[in-house]
Amino acid sequence: MSGGLPSSAALVAAASGLSASPTGSTVIGMAVPGVPYNTLVVACGVAAVGCAAGVVGSLALLRKRPLVGDAAAHATLAGVAGAFLLTGRRDLASLLTGALVAALVGLGALVLVRRVTRTRDDAATAIVIGGGFGLGIALVSGITARGIPGGGGLEHFLLGHAAALTADDARLLMAVSATAITLVVLALKEFTLVAFDASFAAATGWPIVLLDQALVTLVAVMVVVGLPAAGAVLVTALIVIPPVAARQWTERVGTLVALAGGVGATAAVAGVVVTSARPGLPTGPVIVLAAACFCLVSVVASPRRGWLVRTLRAAAERRAWAAGLLLDACVRAAERGDGTFTVTDVTDGRTARAAWRMLEHEGLVERLHEPTAEARVPRDAWRLSVRGLDRARQRQRRAAEWVAAFDRAPAAAKERFSLDLPACAITTDAGDTRAT
Amino acid sequence: MTDSATPSATGDRPVPLVEFHDVTVAYGRRPVLWNVDLVIDAPCLFGIIGPNGAGKSTLLKAALGLVPLVGGTVRFAGVPLARARHTIGYVPQRESVDWDFPVSAFDVVLMGTYGRLGWFRRPGPAERASARDSLARVGLADVADRQIGRLSGGQQQRVFLARALAQEAAIYLLDEPMAGVDARSQEQIFDVLASLRASGRLVVVVHHDLRTAAEWFDRVALIDMRLVAAGPTATVLTPDNLRRTYSGQVELLREVGLAVAERGRTS
Repeated sequence: MSGGLPSSAALVAAASGLSASPTGSTVIGMAVPGVPYNTLVVACGVAAVGCAAGVVGSLALLRKRPLVGDAAAHATLAGVAGAFLLTGRRDLASLLTGALVAALVGLGALVLVRRVTRTRDDAATAIVIGGGFGLGIALVSGITARGIPGGGGLEHFLLGHAAALTADDARLLMAVSATAITLVVLALKEFTLVAFDASFAAATGWPIVLLDQALVTLVAVMVVVGLPAAGAVLVTALIVIPPVAARQWTERVGTLVALAGGVGATAAVAGVVVTSARPGLPTGPVIVLAAACFCLVSVVASPRRGWLVRTLRAAAERRAWAAGLLLDACVRAAERGDGTFTVTDVTDGRTARAAWRMLEHEGLVERLHEPTAEARVPRDAWRLSVRGLDRARQRQRRAAEWVAAFDRAPAAAKERFSLDLPACAITTDAGDTRAT
Repeated sequence: MTDSATPSATGDRPVPLVEFHDVTVAYGRRPVLWNVDLVIDAPCLFGIIGPNGAGKSTLLKAALGLVPLVGGTVRFAGVPLARARHTIGYVPQRESVDWDFPVSAFDVVLMGTYGRLGWFRRPGPAERASARDSLARVGLADVADRQIGRLSGGQQQRVFLARALAQEAAIYLLDEPMAGVDARSQEQIFDVLASLRASGRLVVVVHHDLRTAAEWFDRVALIDMRLVAAGPTATVLTPDNLRRTYSGQVELLREVGLAVAERGRTS
């Protein structure tokens, strides 16, 4: 559960290191040879945001509300434009304050639309996304078209433009991110409890509404500080993709949170590095593509939950079933006749052929006689070997036990009844994992 | 009468452990529970029995403040829920959570200790020991580190029971703990419940299976939106009461009648 701690400690240290150098001449107190100073500053700020977005997003994913940030994100553009029009200032803190207000208004609108119109969650989200985003685009293009002084560059909040960040901006992003991570680490126990079992949490006296509101607010804050890097359209991806990727590699909440933070930070740095080499390319898409690549690899190839492993396992289970059923067929065929049978007696089709090869390979069936020139036995006479008979008896015993247990079980339990592989397969290791 | 029944003011009469007074719950215009008056005086194994949709689970949820009451009150040992939460252990229905959640059986049981830990405090050695003991009591010590989705249905139900044990409560409320559970897990769960009763706890179980109800519970309440009858099992599970609760399910009634009669002979 303490998996998130080191990263947060490191970030807090980084943030305090920043404030300790007021001149800003050595913002991070270090220099990396060959990397432009400004790129380094921006990379630190964006990495902090990517990390915190992954951390906060993990909780949103666990609470089954991964898209709550999307409505907030699409409303932020209107907030950025509104803040500029109202105050005339265009420093990052002012614009992001406007964005945060708009994000919270967007979330409030989401609740309102759901309650007033009684639409489904996804329809309500679409309404708020559309409305908020339409307003934002209209305001930003209005400002650009009228040539209001200082209004250029607001459109960068659409797709993200990390290169425009200053050292002060990066410091702001780092401070907010460090705070968000600290809060998550502090209340990880509470957030996890509510996400796993809200009714138990409520029954034991935890204020689930308050905790949910805190989580949604944290998501909104991360959406807002993610704007300069990823932009309003893509910032949700920073909240959603790293946790989904991380989930493939772990079964622990603490590890999930830490991994998602790491993935988010790495993707963010990748975005900055690529776009600093290719000026003119928006940062947002590059960051999201980097995260998506890692997510794709994770979903396909992760060792326990990955698509590849699950597909292979399903195929192995099918083969094991086929081999087990074929062994049964051999017993029946042997009992019908003189204890021998031919391959065509028991196999039918390609699956059975593959299963036959498994029986042969395991030494469960044997040729009655090795064919010789003078022996006048049928070329294709087989029987069960001693091992094969033994295995078949084990199989029958366990299958009978299982069926008896199944028949005794209450009706509601039957659909969750799972047959151990060894009972149906030809392998007999007694890994009794599911039977109780 | 209930208002004066505080522990200090009881005198000779003991305060009821749980007291439902005119509890009414409605979803929209449809009443789910209507003026349910139920008093459970002493520690025992108490079954809440009734047909599907009779409001059994809702009664537990109403007691725990998970669904709003439109009328009535619930008191635990004379005090309202807000002051009694730490004395109540809860086992929700197994279907109420996502078992793909990235936690181990041990993690889930540890959640039973969160209530007494309070805000921001992490479980320490005492809580971990309590969680380990609770897992051992339900026979799951050897799967403590397994992700909960890799447990069988019966094991999952026992993890929930262990989490309630880790709450170290005086009153246990269980919502269908035997539903969809294999026979061995059922026995194990029942043994744990019986040991709780033996150590002076009240165990209230929402249960749907009349056949086993007759043999498991000391006292039962028959519920079908309203309270039909409550009291010692043998006096409540009468053909007449059952007919009023389960109108129309004749086949079921005959079997239960036999079970009750059998129990009457043996005891």
